[in-house]
Amino acid sequence: MKRKRFLGSLLGSPLLAAAAFPDETSRQSRISEADNWRIPPYLKPGDTIGITCPAGYLTESEVQPAIILLKSWGFNIRIGKTVGDRDFSFGGKDQERMADMQEMLDDPSVQAIMCGRGGYGMIRIIDQLDFRKFVEKPKWVVGFSDITIFHAHLNHQYRIASIHSKMCNSFPDHPELLEKGQWESILSIQTALIGKQIEYPVTYDAANRPGLGQGILGGGNLRTLENLAGTASDLKTEGMILFVEDVGEYLYSIDRMFYSLKRTGKLDKLSGLLIGAFRVKPDDPGDEFGKSVYNIVMEQVANYHYPVCFNFPVGHQKINYALKCGVRHELNISTEKVVFREV
Amino acid sequence: MASIFPPYLKAGDRIGIVCPAGFMAAERIVPCVNTLKSWGFRVKIGKTVGGVSSNYFSGTDEERLEDLQEMLDDEDLSAILCGRGGYGLSRIIDQVSFKKFRKSPKWILGYSDICLLHAHIYSNFEIATAHSPMAGAFMDAVPGDPYIGSIRSLLLGEKLHYSCDPHPFNRKGEVEGTLMGGNLTLLAHTVGGSSDFKTKGLILFIEDIWEYLYNIDRMLFQLKSAGKFQKPAAIIVGSFSELKDTERPFGQNAYEIIRDILSAYEYPVCYGFPVGHVKENFALKCGAEYRLKVGKDKVVLEEIQ
Repeated sequence: MKRKRFLGSLLGSPLLAAAAFPDETSRQSRISEADNWRIPPYLKPGDTIGITCPAGYLTESEVQPAIILLKSWGFNIRIGKTVGDRDFSFGGKDQERMADMQEMLDDPSVQAIMCGRGGYGMIRIIDQLDFRKFVEKPKWVVGFSDITIFHAHLNHQYRIASIHSKMCNSFPDHPELLEKGQWESILSIQTALIGKQIEYPVTYDAANRPGLGQGILGGGNLRTLENLAGTASDLKTEGMILFVEDVGEYLYSIDRMFYSLKRTGKLDKLSGLLIGAFRVKPDDPGDEFGKSVYNIVMEQVANYHYPVCFNFPVGHQKINYALKCGVRHELNISTEKVVFREV
Repeated sequence: MASIFPPYLKAGDRIGIVCPAGFMAAERIVPCVNTLKSWGFRVKIGKTVGGVSSNYFSGTDEERLEDLQEMLDDEDLSAILCGRGGYGLSRIIDQVSFKKFRKSPKWILGYSDICLLHAHIYSNFEIATAHSPMAGAFMDAVPGDPYIGSIRSLLLGEKLHYSCDPHPFNRKGEVEGTLMGGNLTLLAHTVGGSSDFKTKGLILFIEDIWEYLYNIDRMLFQLKSAGKFQKPAAIIVGSFSELKDTERPFGQNAYEIIRDILSAYEYPVCYGFPVGHVKENFALKCGAEYRLKVGKDKVVLEEIQ
């Protein structure tokens, strides 16, 4: 949407300027004034969420808990053809996953797209997707892990916001059995989709580097980000509050990945750094790496002054709050607490 | 563009052994030292070989950097052979000074993590380096081992000439180009940074070990998306050894993955070339001009000029 047209619609609707929610009558995406990022329209009851599997496969029974819960939030569901489809580890062949995602991107009756699960496969189709209709009428795309590629692509190419969060495969059969943080992580997806301001409790970690930073939020899975270097989806991190997480990697690989970020200029101009969960693969006997994730990170950021937050509630773990990539946030780390909120 | 070639070695010249990445016990280089001496070379052993390090690395960043720097700057050295790879060059490469090395280049030999050094030197200075077995490989070598022997041939300036059997996936053709490449994970790691190199016109070779199949796929898609497969003269696929698969199988082996990704292009490709983390690992001159013939009955890679 052109800025001029947007301003015009504002003038026609004086109440909107003060409203916390986006314009519900025009259903247009907003432009974040300071950053020129576009924010898709937030969802309201009756809107439709499309479910698709652009990476790993998900069975029809595995998707049921997500359908039940999303419906209980007042949304309609459209199930993509890739749900229940399978080609080895993928949710269908490249062509099928691409076509399903394309249909979801283009369908005007779908207001948000939630990915079934991560796994691997997005990189195989991202360059074939046609974003023309999506760019005209942005909608929320929801997911993490391999879906980091989609968020990074929107960052690099279109500056359109998206939601980094748990996906359908994390929705529970029995919500009452979940730990508090895990259930709150699921609920935070709803909070993000309907446009409530984001502010999460962050456990204070003595390893944090205090400071105040404000910037567009972005990031995701570290290995995935490393392998986007040089591609059309390479994350642009200048001014950003960057978050990273990973699972199942050796410490030496994590170190190499941070050096990748450094050597491709992604660490020197941040407004803040959020270190999520790193469930590392134990060192092989005799090959002890000798540095923790904390050591690895602090070595990289020693020459910079932005705040660094450890133990941030994002990653392949029970607590994984929905984060709005492409939306401006504030990170305020003092000597006893962390405040992370949307601004 | 033709690369600068360090002077080849003659009897009496000195080779330094250094460990810029992973730790290596001192006794593991003995067979290498003996062989190099039997070839008529003198040997200088760096402080990082069999150092006191108790962790993964052969020394602290400062120690590894200092040892490598000393070797690069030592005018009495004609070549530097790395003890082993592992991981660690990324941590020091941007602190290495190539000032003296550029004025009087010497051969740098190694592979795996050492590919970062090859890529960096090729990309920034266009000086030829050697992708070859390292000191550890001499341990298991039998007398007359052709792969270890290829290191000697390279150092003495013999024109290198290798052949291997055809593979059903090969795409036939004959091309000439600059040879460059190495470990896929390291090549992916260089993209977008100061060691990244252009692949147009190259005979590009790739190999890897221990990775998950989906990661091999991901890195190949990265290189493809970054345009690295657009215009090389040809691609040589070495060994992809000891790969891992996920619980839900990936459904293709490494060569099938590569074949599918390269099906979008038309240049010659050969598979099963003796380069990689296996015994069959010929010394290759990165930055040198080669002719690759992928024929019906055999594959030949020969140095030209």
